[in-house]
Amino acid sequence: MKKVVMGNEAAALAAALARVQVVSAYPITPQTVIVENLSEIIGRGELKAKYIPVESEHSAMASCIGASMAGARAFTASSSQGLVYMHEMLHYAAGARVPVVMVNCNRALAPPWNLYCDHTDSLAQRDTGWLQYYCADAQDVLDAILIAYSVAEQALLPVMINLDAFYLTHTSELVDVPDQKTVDIFLPPYHPSNKLDVDDPKTFGNVCGADLFTSIKYKRYCDTLALEKLWNQTAVKFCDHFNRLHSAVEAYQTEDADVCIIGIATATGAMRLAVDRLRKEGLKAGSLRLAMVRPFPLEGFKKAIANIKHVIVIDRDVSYGAEGIVAQEVKAGLFDHHGDVKLTGFIAGVGGNDMSVETIVPLVQQAISGAGAAVEAGTTLWAEVLP
Amino acid sequence: MQTKIIIKSLSELPTMPSTIDTMVWNQTGDWRYLTPVIKNKQAPCSQSCPLGISIPGYLNSVKNGNLEAALAMLLAYNPLPVLTGRLCYHPCQGKCVRRKIDRAISIQKIERFLADLGTGVKIEKSRKIDKRVVVIGSGPLGLSCAFYLGCRGCQVVVLDPCKQAGGALVDLSPEKIEPQVLANEINRLIRLADIKLETGVLIDFGTSGKLVSKADLIILDPTGLSKDFSAPVSAVAFNPFDDETITGNIITIKLSQNLKPFKATMIAHYIAAGRLMAQKAFDCLVPRSGQQSIAQPNPDLPRQAVAMEDIRIERFLSSDLTAEAEAKQEGTWNQERVLQEAERCLSCGTCTLCLQCVSFCPDASILLDEDTTTVTVDLDHCKGCGICAYECPRGVITMEEISP
Repeated sequence: MKKVVMGNEAAALAAALARVQVVSAYPITPQTVIVENLSEIIGRGELKAKYIPVESEHSAMASCIGASMAGARAFTASSSQGLVYMHEMLHYAAGARVPVVMVNCNRALAPPWNLYCDHTDSLAQRDTGWLQYYCADAQDVLDAILIAYSVAEQALLPVMINLDAFYLTHTSELVDVPDQKTVDIFLPPYHPSNKLDVDDPKTFGNVCGADLFTSIKYKRYCDTLALEKLWNQTAVKFCDHFNRLHSAVEAYQTEDADVCIIGIATATGAMRLAVDRLRKEGLKAGSLRLAMVRPFPLEGFKKAIANIKHVIVIDRDVSYGAEGIVAQEVKAGLFDHHGDVKLTGFIAGVGGNDMSVETIVPLVQQAISGAGAAVEAGTTLWAEVLP
Repeated sequence: MQTKIIIKSLSELPTMPSTIDTMVWNQTGDWRYLTPVIKNKQAPCSQSCPLGISIPGYLNSVKNGNLEAALAMLLAYNPLPVLTGRLCYHPCQGKCVRRKIDRAISIQKIERFLADLGTGVKIEKSRKIDKRVVVIGSGPLGLSCAFYLGCRGCQVVVLDPCKQAGGALVDLSPEKIEPQVLANEINRLIRLADIKLETGVLIDFGTSGKLVSKADLIILDPTGLSKDFSAPVSAVAFNPFDDETITGNIITIKLSQNLKPFKATMIAHYIAAGRLMAQKAFDCLVPRSGQQSIAQPNPDLPRQAVAMEDIRIERFLSSDLTAEAEAKQEGTWNQERVLQEAERCLSCGTCTLCLQCVSFCPDASILLDEDTTTVTVDLDHCKGCGICAYECPRGVITMEEISP
């Protein structure tokens, strides 16, 4: 059934379609609509789930971990300050191998106070061990949450689905809402073999010496690396049911391109439009959307940039003292790449600036010609800075 | 003892970090620094009582409907409960554990009910010994001292130069204590201890004073004599709380500054001083090598609370208390209300097998024994976290440093 919904509404619908059993959340702009919608859906009795209004994001994730350990499908959503407050529990969820799925609405971190789009909040959680997926549109939100539960429960690892604040969370789009029956076939109930069970008492997360600790971490590392392949396989299965493909990377016109614009989330749509315009002007451009940032989708990335001579990364985030976080990731992915590839990193669109074709095209031109409005700082170029 | 499973390959590792079998092999007991000790002990109310009255003990008798046993236990610690029930500041209630839950037990109301109930209580005559003691002054201290010496078989006479017995208590307003109630209480004490009381007598320490001259020991009660009363020069000052050995045969009791001048609310302290005086006087009159030697005071009890094991007053008491239940005083609770109140007592200091410790122990190291009469600590696994001691509502569990 087609519906006009906001990205946040699509997220709530997806959680309901996934038949989550526990929702534990603390409201925060711009995530609030998601948990409000879910509380209403649960309140109306349309979803048989326990809604826990907790006192903090730390507790929200802690109760999701507990619920998941007991065998329930758990969901939460947060944003920005709330997400970073969860940080400790994010490590715990991945370490405990619980398939929790959460939505994060990418919002700038204070100070100064700002409610708008910025990716630093979630990218700062790269090392917590979660699969991170950045949505491009509302349909992607709905579908990715369903794929996320399937992947999480196969791998026993948590998944974070990221939505750009306001550009995605509060923008209405036409979305194809799948019927419950087909979703149930794609995503059967979660029945873990190992869980908290009073009839089979076990200790979870107990003390462990260095010998086993190393092996347990190694296993988790390998399982996390395998998530790109698992996501893509699951996405194909999803496509078989719903005829929509959501891969870990999405390449656009990269086969014959010399220049490739790389980005994440909603701005990748504008990047494609920029590619079209640049091609009209005679530049052999392409673009690459990294839908998955963690684990870094190395296989898809390498394939897409095989013939690229110049990589341009536009980051809506920054790692202070280094550079754009996606640029860092891309650099690491290029390290063993044969051939001489140039990389230009831009910081743009942070704190809510719109990332349109008009933003992107001049940046690409500056990357090629060396002349433009973005100012150089260390290894990056900052756009939209006061003179 | 189960053995540890050795994981030899990655495939044997569980995906979720969890135990794969029992952890009983892991004897975490050697991590322990403090050890939980489960031992019945004195309740906080009793600890704060100047008289060391076993409050949960007599409340337990009340709970069981045995008011006679309750009164006997009360009288064994305190021969003037009618007075303490009206005058004492009841520090016991201030320490009541139930304050943390709802409100303190109204120990004062229960004490007063029991005290008023038993004015007709009788006692079997104890065997008399050939020791004569004269107590001069019939204040609460003197009466208490006379009572305990009388119960031990001494031939005690209480002499009071005033016409009305009671010493400093006589001066209290009728709102605090009615003269008839005071008179009845003193009469009960005299009767129970089988002693004599003479009021309005001329005190003569010379040879002409018959009673005085024949006495083995003369004790002057500061709560029973006016300031104008002059003690004979041969009298030796004695503080029952501090002094041990009695010298001479005339003792003038010296009280610490906080008990001077007489304060009615501190009545339990005067009664305690009298009881302690009696114990020390008896030690002096009847040497420990003798047949009636007194048991050593229990070191666990506070200093003012003398061990009562040697007196066993409760054994000799007999009465028909229920017949008197109706003859109650104004301001005294009725029996139904007293029973309800006593039910609220947690019996602190006494394990009632509530099993809070068993449910709170994070290491399943407190176990109910097979005969279900006691709980014990599994010292092979107890890490000494102390949660059991914190959770025990009766303070029966304490964390102690115990050498292995």
